[in-house]
Amino acid sequence: MRADARSLLDRLGRSDFVYKEFADRFSDLELWPLFEALLKDPRVFQQETVASAASDAVNDPVSMPGIAAARPAGTAPKAPTPPVLPSATESLADLFHRYEAESAATPQARSGQDVRAMLRRLSDLDERGEL
Amino acid sequence: MPLVLCHSPKGGVGTTFLSAHLAMGLVEMDGGDDASHNVDLLTLSPRDLTPLHFGLGPAQRLPPLAASADAAVVASGIGLFCEPEATRDSDFLPRLDDAGYLAVGSDRTLVIDVPSGHHMLARKLMPHVAVHVCPLTPLPDCLALLPQLLAEEGDWGPHRTAYVFGKLDETRRLARHVTAFAREVLGERLIARIRNDQAVPEALAMLQQLSRYAPASAALADARVAAQAVGAILAEERAKITAMIGEQPGAPIAQPGASRAA
Repeated sequence: MRADARSLLDRLGRSDFVYKEFADRFSDLELWPLFEALLKDPRVFQQETVASAASDAVNDPVSMPGIAAARPAGTAPKAPTPPVLPSATESLADLFHRYEAESAATPQARSGQDVRAMLRRLSDLDERGEL
Repeated sequence: MPLVLCHSPKGGVGTTFLSAHLAMGLVEMDGGDDASHNVDLLTLSPRDLTPLHFGLGPAQRLPPLAASADAAVVASGIGLFCEPEATRDSDFLPRLDDAGYLAVGSDRTLVIDVPSGHHMLARKLMPHVAVHVCPLTPLPDCLALLPQLLAEEGDWGPHRTAYVFGKLDETRRLARHVTAFAREVLGERLIARIRNDQAVPEALAMLQQLSRYAPASAALADARVAAQAVGAILAEERAKITAMIGEQPGAPIAQPGASRAA
């Protein structure tokens, strides 16, 4: 139980309450247009590519201490998680490649699906407590 | 000395709070020995509110780096300094060097709080820092800045820039979603989320440290997570430097971020 919730229940004197944190189902919620706009921004796409290269090179020199060392408690490197759905396992890079390759076809429908796929992935991570 | 740069391109995101609590958290990780003074905190803000976060009164003025020991202000085992003219001081970096803050391999840590308006100074410091912590808030305006920030940091950023989302109100759906989205984009570079907590301004108003006023504060617990993450980065860098010294005694050791500086 979160400390602030425990404190509130203590103040209310309600020790008989059952406490539960409800996770958001991202895929059930509306799609924020800002998220979609950011996902289409090539600078964000480049970030993911560079981050991948950084994780590959994390064992290299002193000049690269590595943000990987900074994983907060509970976010330590995890074993590969089993795939949930094909669309849910896509990386952001995959999504952007698809934006670039298929933008000429049905851009609006495609972008909606891709962003929703990412939101589904967020939701799955959230359910597993990894978000 | 490992430098920890705390700088955000956006004001009002809790940079001073974060830098103060990073310093406190690093001291706690060192064992909290007040006598050791292994962590210093330097603020470059001309309107310095750092003392409030240490339970000091608003009239408390912090000395410059070169101040004598008599003028030193030490709180919670942290030496507190202020250099409000650093942006106009061309000798600021040499003075940091002269004071030993840029020496590689030292166990002492300097946390530098650079206000949002001093972007160019922050960029000058970046080649010398072990980690740059960039606080943001989980609001659309900060999220919209992300592409620009990621583009500006170049190849260097993924190795040294970490992000913290502060003032998170978990009761707000948009704030939760922005944080989750940023987590997806930034991955492990989002090292902490600090929840919005009324205990923070209340502690300031009480002229008490947050850890004393509200030990169970959610923001305090989250700030400690951020400090632990930064401490892990510093520990890893120290270990690598130690290993390099052991392997190549006498060889020149690269400054943090030397590749970017080149």
